Amino acid sequence: MIKIKPYINNTVLSIVIFILLLIAIFLSSGLIQELIKYSLTHYSINPIVFNTYFNSIIIFLVFLSIFISYTIYLSPINFIWFKSKKNDTDNSSILSKEQFKDLYDDAPVPYITLDKDAKIENPNKSALRFFGVKPEEINNKNFFSYLSGEDQKHAEMYFQYYKSHIPINKKEVELVTKSGKSRLVELSIFQMSDFGTFSNTGVAMIYDITEQKLLDKAKTEFVSLASHQLKSPLATTKWLTEMLMSRNLGELSQKQVEYLDKLHIANEDMIELVDLLLNVSRTEMGSLTVDIKETNVEALTESILEELTPLISKKGLNIVKQYNSSLQNIESDPKLLRIVIQNLISNAVKYTPTGGTITITFDEKTNIKQIIVSDTGLGIPKDQQDLVFSKLFRAANIRTSSTSQGTGLGLYLVKSIVASINGNISFVSEENKGSIFTITLNY
Amino acid sequence: METNNKKKILIVDDNEGLKNVLIDKFNYCGFEAIGAEDGQVGLEKALELHPDIILLDVVMPKMGGMEVLKELRKDGWGKNVKVMILTLVNEPEYMADAVESNILGYFVKTEVNLDKLVDQIKRIFEIKT
Repeated sequence: MIKIKPYINNTVLSIVIFILLLIAIFLSSGLIQELIKYSLTHYSINPIVFNTYFNSIIIFLVFLSIFISYTIYLSPINFIWFKSKKNDTDNSSILSKEQFKDLYDDAPVPYITLDKDAKIENPNKSALRFFGVKPEEINNKNFFSYLSGEDQKHAEMYFQYYKSHIPINKKEVELVTKSGKSRLVELSIFQMSDFGTFSNTGVAMIYDITEQKLLDKAKTEFVSLASHQLKSPLATTKWLTEMLMSRNLGELSQKQVEYLDKLHIANEDMIELVDLLLNVSRTEMGSLTVDIKETNVEALTESILEELTPLISKKGLNIVKQYNSSLQNIESDPKLLRIVIQNLISNAVKYTPTGGTITITFDEKTNIKQIIVSDTGLGIPKDQQDLVFSKLFRAANIRTSSTSQGTGLGLYLVKSIVASINGNISFVSEENKGSIFTITLNY
Repeated sequence: METNNKKKILIVDDNEGLKNVLIDKFNYCGFEAIGAEDGQVGLEKALELHPDIILLDVVMPKMGGMEVLKELRKDGWGKNVKVMILTLVNEPEYMADAVESNILGYFVKTEVNLDKLVDQIKRIFEIKT
């Protein structure tokens, strides 16, 4: 195992510096000076010679102490130098120069060493593979001349950054390879000072994200395409049914009306399911866009209730509204929040027996806003409550009930969306008594 | 006698089925409905026939609905024509673009009830239902 050891013994160095300073102080004291002068006279040496250089010796010793302290403890340049000196002599536990060179050369990430003028000096094997070149084809070329597309225009700017020692960290840029093809990469350049010459060199790291970006684009396009292709025939069916139902093509028999009604309901269910599946795909593929703006939760809820009115009336459900005006204007994504509230109210409507009550509460406590949907419905069995937000989960009691219409995706989607808008969802539920779902915003 | 009073409605949609349902529906409801199968044809027909209102799809071949809308707004007549977006794409970025171009509304087809749509357009022209 490779360990990084302290490169120098601090105690030894401290003692050396202490002794040097002690000698300087000693020499500067009058008694010592007189003793030395006396000794020199004893050996027939002219003390004037000593007087001339005495102060210079003291100053030299003091400066020597300061220089040693600085080089060892403070200068980052010499820290590296001393470290490498130490490494050369200790192969047992620290990376040797050879090991470091192998690591650099064979690393799967393209690394390129640049000189002070950003000229390519030492590309590793991965870098040569990335550009599709031999070392002689790339050495001594300005690294920033490989920028392409829109980034080519900013080559001079990046070069100035480099000259000014401004690090470049994970910047998305296009680089052109020998074949003329551009690759999208995450570029990082950090600089190192070379001890001895004090000239600056840099190391560029290239992380190719071309394929990753294409995949992201394909995912988003798939959802858009699927949305379009799946919803087209559903919209056609919906409108044709509505045309027949509005008697545009003549009167209908009672049986025809009944069948068209069923066709319409089935089609609406299908539209809802497709929307749900597409939203689940979006969240899973990470292509769900969050668009935070002014949101009126009360208006959203009212429009959802209006949509659900036929079913609410059919089941004779009581809707109790306990609104708080502070939720008339909040910062959130109205489209996503609508999906969340729609799912919760729709679940409450689906799983509350005839004559039951659904209460919608908006609450605000110390700037934390909550939307609470409670019902007097079937509830979720205790032993299955841990699974409520998992994909395709359907509680045993609703699977066997006649009102079973769910997909097992609704609450899974709700949980993902709530997380994406910085919210939290929790619930309490008791079988045959009801459930209370609480959305906490700005969690 | 009544043909002169009929409001002209241009339906621009590349989906043959959806376009035909809309043409039939609006014809039944007393409008003069005209269809266009893509954005380019839609723009040409709009500038030539000067309809009273345009129902515009977004994703179409040759020229998308947003592009048609942009071109229309550059035209002396087109800059004030009533436009309603009727699409399957429920994307915020399209909605924002459309709203900036002064439209009557942005509707997702699967959420639109045909009778309600007709009523809404009739109200715009103050036609009694």
